[in-house]
Amino acid sequence: MRLGVRLLINNIFTYFSAISIVLMAGSLLIIIGPMICKGSGAIFFRSTVEFRELQFNMHNRGSKQALDEQKALAESARTPVYEILNHFKQGIDTSSLQTKVRENYRQYGQQLRFQNIDRNKFTEYRNQAKELRDELVAAYESVDVNEIRPHLQKVLDQANNALFQNTPIAEYFQFARDYQQIISTVDLRKRDQYAQELTKVQEQIRLLLGPQPGRGKPALAMDQYGATRMDRAKVVLDELMWTTQWVEIEKGKPLQKKRTPRAEIFAGTEMEKLFSYIEQNLNAMLLPKPAVYWQYLIDDSTPGHFFGGIGPEIIGTLLLTLLAIAFAVPLGIISAAYLVECAGDTITVRIIRICINTLAGVPSIVFGLFGLAFFVLYLFPLAGMQSKPCILAASLTLALLILPVIIRASEEAIKSVPQTYKEASLALGASNFKTFISVTFPAALPGILTGIILSLSRAAGETAPILFTGAVALGPIPRSIFEPTRALSYGSYDIAVGDRIAALVPHQQFGIVTALILLVLGLNICAIAIRWKLAKRFRGT
Amino acid sequence: MVTKVLSMPSNERHVIKINRPKMEAKQGNPGLSGSPEVNTIIESRNFWLYYGSKPGVRDITMKVYSSSVTAIIGPSGCGKSTFLRSINRMNDLVPGTHAKGYLGVNGTNVYDPKINLVNLRQQIGMVFQKPNPFSKSIYDNIVYGPKLQGVSKADLDDLVEKCLHSAALWDEVKDDLHKSALALSGGQQQRLCIARALATKPNVLLMDEPCSALDPIATGRIEDLIIQLKKAYTIVIVTHNMQQAARVSDRTAFFCLGELIEYDTTDHMFTNPSNKQTEDYITGRFG
Repeated sequence: MRLGVRLLINNIFTYFSAISIVLMAGSLLIIIGPMICKGSGAIFFRSTVEFRELQFNMHNRGSKQALDEQKALAESARTPVYEILNHFKQGIDTSSLQTKVRENYRQYGQQLRFQNIDRNKFTEYRNQAKELRDELVAAYESVDVNEIRPHLQKVLDQANNALFQNTPIAEYFQFARDYQQIISTVDLRKRDQYAQELTKVQEQIRLLLGPQPGRGKPALAMDQYGATRMDRAKVVLDELMWTTQWVEIEKGKPLQKKRTPRAEIFAGTEMEKLFSYIEQNLNAMLLPKPAVYWQYLIDDSTPGHFFGGIGPEIIGTLLLTLLAIAFAVPLGIISAAYLVECAGDTITVRIIRICINTLAGVPSIVFGLFGLAFFVLYLFPLAGMQSKPCILAASLTLALLILPVIIRASEEAIKSVPQTYKEASLALGASNFKTFISVTFPAALPGILTGIILSLSRAAGETAPILFTGAVALGPIPRSIFEPTRALSYGSYDIAVGDRIAALVPHQQFGIVTALILLVLGLNICAIAIRWKLAKRFRGT
Repeated sequence: MVTKVLSMPSNERHVIKINRPKMEAKQGNPGLSGSPEVNTIIESRNFWLYYGSKPGVRDITMKVYSSSVTAIIGPSGCGKSTFLRSINRMNDLVPGTHAKGYLGVNGTNVYDPKINLVNLRQQIGMVFQKPNPFSKSIYDNIVYGPKLQGVSKADLDDLVEKCLHSAALWDEVKDDLHKSALALSGGQQQRLCIARALATKPNVLLMDEPCSALDPIATGRIEDLIIQLKKAYTIVIVTHNMQQAARVSDRTAFFCLGELIEYDTTDHMFTNPSNKQTEDYITGRFG
C-alpha cells in the first residue's frame, strides 16, 4: 500500500512537470508566434506599384521600363478618380474659382493695354468685362439656386460677343456652363459640409494613390508616395469608404462607434460614384504583387520609419551588444578568477560579493543615468573628448549592466572545475597562472559561456541604459564609436511612443521587434553552438 | 597519556594508546633490514604538518629508499595522504597549512621558503585517486609537463611514445593519440595520468590511492605497472587496500591518527608486525 502511494505521488510529480513544461513552451509560442508572423509581414507582403516606384527612385531597384509600363497602366485606372474629384471640386471650391475669375480679368486688362486702343474704348471694354466678372463672382458667392441662375444667364448672354473672342474672358463662359450644370446636381446649401468632407477624401486618396499628378512634388518623402503595401491600402480604403462617429445611443452609457458609408454624405452628386469606382478598381490602380523585401534588413529608413528598412538599427544593436560583451567578458572573467582563485574569504571579499549580487538586481534605468553622469558628463571631458552620447558610452554602460551576471556565472563555473584538474596541472610543475589559463579556464568555459549568453540577450534588448548614453531614433549610420547610433530596442520604443507613426506603420514596429528577437536568438544560437562544441570536447566524445 | 576512542562500539580493544606505538616505531630500524645498499631519497625528521592549528601529521620520522615501492596504509583520516602530499607540497592548496620539522627530497628541504616549487614538482610526479586527465588530446596531456620544462617540439613525439610505453598504454592508444583523453576508459585514463607524470622525468612517483576508482582488472594492470616502474623510479603509494600493499610494495608504513605507528619491510610487516595496533589493522580486526 505504501509503495502504491509512493508510486502515485511519483507519477503525479512526473505528469505535473511534463504539463508545466508543455504550458511554458505553449505560452512562449503564443507570445512569440504571432509576433514573428506579424513581423515577417515587414518582409513578405503584397507590394503596390507605389512600392516599386519608391524602390526604383530611392535604391534604383527594378527595371525602369517595367515600372513605366505599370505606372502608365495604373495612371489610366486612376484618371477617372482625379477627373471626378477635380470636376466636383469646381462646384464646391468656389473661393479658388473666384480667384481664377479675378485673375482672368486682370490678364484681360493687360491684354487690352498692349493693343494700343484709345482710352475711352479701353475703359468701355474693361467695364463690360468687369460686369461679367461681378456676375460670376456673385453667382459663386450665392447659395440660392434661383439667385444664381439669372447671374449665370447674364454671363452666358455675352457668349457670342466678338469682343471677348480669344481673350481670357472667354473662359468665363465655360465656367458659367460648368457651374450651371453643377448647381442642378449639388445642393448648394450643403456646400460647406461637402468642402469639409472633400478635404478628408482628398487626404485619403493621397494616402492611397500618392500626390495628384501634375501638382508638383511634395517636400517630405512620406508624402511623395501612396500606399506601398496592399494591407495598408486596405486600411486607407476602409477609412475612405466609411466615416466613424462616436454617438451616444443611450443616455449615460459609454459612447458607441457608428460607421456610416462616406458615399451617403455625397448622395446625389457625381462624387457618389467615385467611392464605388475606387473600391472596384483598387487593384487596377495599385497593381498588387507579392514581394519579398529582404532589403528591409539592410535598408535605411526614411525619417520616421515610414518607408524603408531597419539596417542601421541592426548594425547599431550588433555593435552595441558585441562591444559591451567585449568590454564586460574579459573584465568579468578576470574578476571572477580573482575572487575564486586569489581573494580567499575575507570580510572585504564578502562585501564585494554582496555588492556584485546587488548590482545584478539594480534597475537598468539607474545604469543609464549612471552612464550619462559618469561616462558622458564626467569621464569624456576628462579624457578630452566631446561630452556627447555615443556608442562607446552606451556600450560601456551596457557592459556595466551585464558585468555582475558575467562575474557570477564565471565564478560559479570556475568554482565547479574539479580540484583534481588543478592539482594535476600543479603537480606537473605548472604555475597558478599557467594552471588557470590552460586547465581551469578551458574547463570552465562552457559555464562562462552560459553567463555570456544570458547577458548577450540582456544587452541586446535593454533600452534604458542606452536611452541617455548613445541611442538616437533617427540619424545616419555611425562611422566611429564616438557617434550615437540607432538601436532595435530604442527604435521600437521610439515608434511606440512617437505620436502617429505606430498606427500608420504597424509592420515596422513588429518588424523591429521580430528582428530583435531573431537577432538575440541568432547570437544565442552561436554561443550555444560554441558551448556545445566545447562541452563535447570536454566530455571527450 | 592521551587516549582516544575511535567511532566504534565501546570495547576495551578499540581504545588506542597513542604514544606507546610511536616509541616502538622509532626504536626499530625501519626498512633497512636486509638491503643495506639502498639510498635514501626522501627523508622526514620530526615532521609536523598543521591545517590551521590542527596537526594533520605528527612528528613523522621515516626514510624512503630509492628504486623501491613504499606503501603507506592506515585508516581514513590518519594523515597518510597528508604526508604524501607534503612531499611535493600539494598541501599548499589548502589555505592555512604550515609545516614544522624537516622533510627532504634528495637532501633539500621541501619546506624551505626559497625552494623552487616548479622544479620540485617536476622531480616528483604525482598520480591521484581519481583519474584526472585534462580535457585535451592524449598527446597534449603527456606533453603538458615537458612543454613547461621547455622541451623542444622535435623531441616531444619520442617522449610521448616512451612515456606511453612506460605506462603500458602505447599499444592501446598509438593510433588515436589526438583523440580526447576523456574518451578512454577509467583504467586507461589512470595509466595515461601515470604516463603524464613520467613525462617530466621525475625521480619519485607519488600515488594517492591510484586504484580506488578502478575495477579489479584495471587495478591489476596498474599494479603490474607499478612493479615494472620501480626499477627506474622511487614510488610512494597510499592505499586502503592491504592486499595491494602486500602485492606491490617493498616497505610499508602504517599511519594512525596522524602518527607513524610502524614502518618496516612489507614481508616483515604483514607476517610479523611488531605492533599490536598494526596487527589489528592488517588482520582486519580494526579499521
